[in-house]
Amino acid sequence: MAGSRPWLAVFAASAVWGVVAILGLVAARSEASAQRSALGPDASSRASVAARAEATLVGSDDCRRCHPQQHASWHRSFHRTMTQRVGDPGVELAAPFEGEQLVYGGFVATMDRDEAGRPRVRVRAEEGGRPLLDAQVELSVGSHRYQQYVGRVGDDAEAGRLTRLPVAWHIGERRWIHLNGAFVEPESAEGDAEGWLRHLSRWNDNCVFCHNTEPVPGRLELAADDAAPRFETEVGEYGIACEACHGRGGAHVQAHANPFARMLARGQGPDPSVAQPARLSAQGEADVCGRCHGNRIARDIAEVMRKGDGFVPGASLATHSRPILPEAQIAGTEGLPFAARFWPDGRPRLSAYEYQAMRGSACHLEGELRCGDCHTMHGEDPDMQLRAEDRNAPCGRCHAPASLGGHEGRGGHGGHQGIDGRAPDCVDCHMPRVTYGLLEGMITHRIDSPDPAAWLGRADQPDACTQCHVDASRAWAAAAMPALRRGALEGSDARGRSRVGEDLFGGDPLQRNLAAHALGRGEASGSFAPRLALLIEAMDDAYPSVRWFAWRGARELNAGGGREPRDKALQEALMRFDYLAPVERRVEIVAALRERWGAAASFGIDATRREALVAGADDEGLWIGE
Amino acid sequence: MKASTHLRAALLLLALFLASGLLLEAALGARAEAYLGDPLRREFLRLAHAHGALLALVNVALASAMARLETPEAWARAIRWGALSGALAVGLGFAGGGLWHGPTDPGPLVLFVPAGAFALLSCLVLVAISKPSDRAPRASDSGARDDDAS
Repeated sequence: MAGSRPWLAVFAASAVWGVVAILGLVAARSEASAQRSALGPDASSRASVAARAEATLVGSDDCRRCHPQQHASWHRSFHRTMTQRVGDPGVELAAPFEGEQLVYGGFVATMDRDEAGRPRVRVRAEEGGRPLLDAQVELSVGSHRYQQYVGRVGDDAEAGRLTRLPVAWHIGERRWIHLNGAFVEPESAEGDAEGWLRHLSRWNDNCVFCHNTEPVPGRLELAADDAAPRFETEVGEYGIACEACHGRGGAHVQAHANPFARMLARGQGPDPSVAQPARLSAQGEADVCGRCHGNRIARDIAEVMRKGDGFVPGASLATHSRPILPEAQIAGTEGLPFAARFWPDGRPRLSAYEYQAMRGSACHLEGELRCGDCHTMHGEDPDMQLRAEDRNAPCGRCHAPASLGGHEGRGGHGGHQGIDGRAPDCVDCHMPRVTYGLLEGMITHRIDSPDPAAWLGRADQPDACTQCHVDASRAWAAAAMPALRRGALEGSDARGRSRVGEDLFGGDPLQRNLAAHALGRGEASGSFAPRLALLIEAMDDAYPSVRWFAWRGARELNAGGGREPRDKALQEALMRFDYLAPVERRVEIVAALRERWGAAASFGIDATRREALVAGADDEGLWIGE
Repeated sequence: MKASTHLRAALLLLALFLASGLLLEAALGARAEAYLGDPLRREFLRLAHAHGALLALVNVALASAMARLETPEAWARAIRWGALSGALAVGLGFAGGGLWHGPTDPGPLVLFVPAGAFALLSCLVLVAISKPSDRAPRASDSGARDDDAS
């Protein structure tokens, strides 16, 4: 130690580090400044979009290294498991594939595993004969309500194709269903093989788009009459992963590889190297969600079939596609092929049209209401991915509670009373459940004010009031509205003929679905017996989806939200019903139910009226195959 | 800095970072969103608490070691400053980096942590290798007064 300098010896390493740190910070700031100059101020800038369109995909594992919390919340989501590849680490299929059988429509589907343990689906006629279908399952699609399966059928393997199979696993009911029982279509005839297989559809240029991250269909032939094209399909990641919403991550990873740059990231404003939907405009954020939650028509279909849709989060979705609206037309079709997917006022009838609904709402167009005001992709609860806070909070931003005569009070403006202590809130009345999707009645995303008087005399569209007041007519609702607005609850006792009851028998299949759904909901008004009687009648519907809603509604109505059913005998009788069983068996059970529980006066819908409604119902106007 | 001043300062440092543990517990008990809702901040404040307290104890140990090993006073003076400032830099660096951090990484104040760690490491090594017989550095080398040298 002779001749050494104590202060230097103690602080030399720290001083060297200090110099390195300062130089690192200065260099990082300079680098970040250069990147911002190159990419523009934010992810919507033209340079950013161009650079990110060419960036590499990095995958969610790479994102986890810096964003573990966001990765964990995404990992809990149904987005992640939207598509899963059989055999990949951590993949657990919802269905057991332990030899279950679905007997339906004259055929028997057996779901089991081969010698190597790989799941498969085999379909044969009930009386035997050649197999109708023998498919190895390669992918699962969906994980929330029901799970569909995708496999190789026929010469799929040589052509690089995958095919969506006609059976699905209903997660809530823990049972197999034919896809006729999941979509809004009539059933095919018993023993009709073509009808049994009508839901076989090509995954490569259909499902691949909205159920995977950065899909490239890779269609090789594109002749219009090519019925069996070949594909070299690739996806960035199976399921909806980080880069589906944030865009390709290569530019972002490169921009933040320097740890000094990451330390300085605070307070630097928007990061142009990646799209952060919450920092885009309300329209920009809706474009990110609307890519999948808003059915669209590509501007260049051939290009999309080869290379994917080309959309970069942060850019305008309109550059690549146009949303399907009632008046939309496509080459080769006549009339308005999509009009039946919308209510007469232009409101979408189906889920996956939330974008169109939002774009029809003044709250979004004028009030800048964003998807992220109600939903969060990184919250705790994966079910609907709603924010944990009061769901009416976003409304209060523009509609001050004081100006609504006590929005925060019971029942909002008007003091509307509710059932079982829960008063209706903003969403209940301004976003009623008039959307069908995935065997559910869902809220509409077109936000407006109920005005039943405007639709008096019409039977082509449900309204918010009578979707809850299932025992009442629209005329009753129209008469009650002025009093409600004054804060007086003065609904007339003369409720007239139930609007929902009329829809249940006289509406098209989608109206019937929604009517049955409304009758079974705990929040609905009206006494138990007539609601049950109506639902029992609807369990006889020709459409399996209507039977499903009616059966589930009756079951939930009887459950009453409690642990014990109101009527155990009814519960047992309902549990014997299978909405996909042969008609003779269903008729037998419905007859037994009708005899014991179906005689109640049903909100003005007697047998004569019911028969007249059924005779006039429209069963041809609507086929929803997805 | 005298040996006694170093020891007192080390104990005060220990008290400071132990008290910060009480604050963290209070934040936990009060379900403070700024603490519980920010995992990065929470992690770095806990690191600050743990490192600050531990390194204050290291200072106490160093003070005792220097007395027992008869570290030459000119070295001891630099070591005391180095060890104390190192412990403080590590503790406050973690705290500052956690309190004012970026989206994914601690803020630039965390760069004080390596600086403090280097200083403390140097001090530990110097205490270990210095001997009572080591020649006192020249006053012009160390800035020490002649009477500081042992």
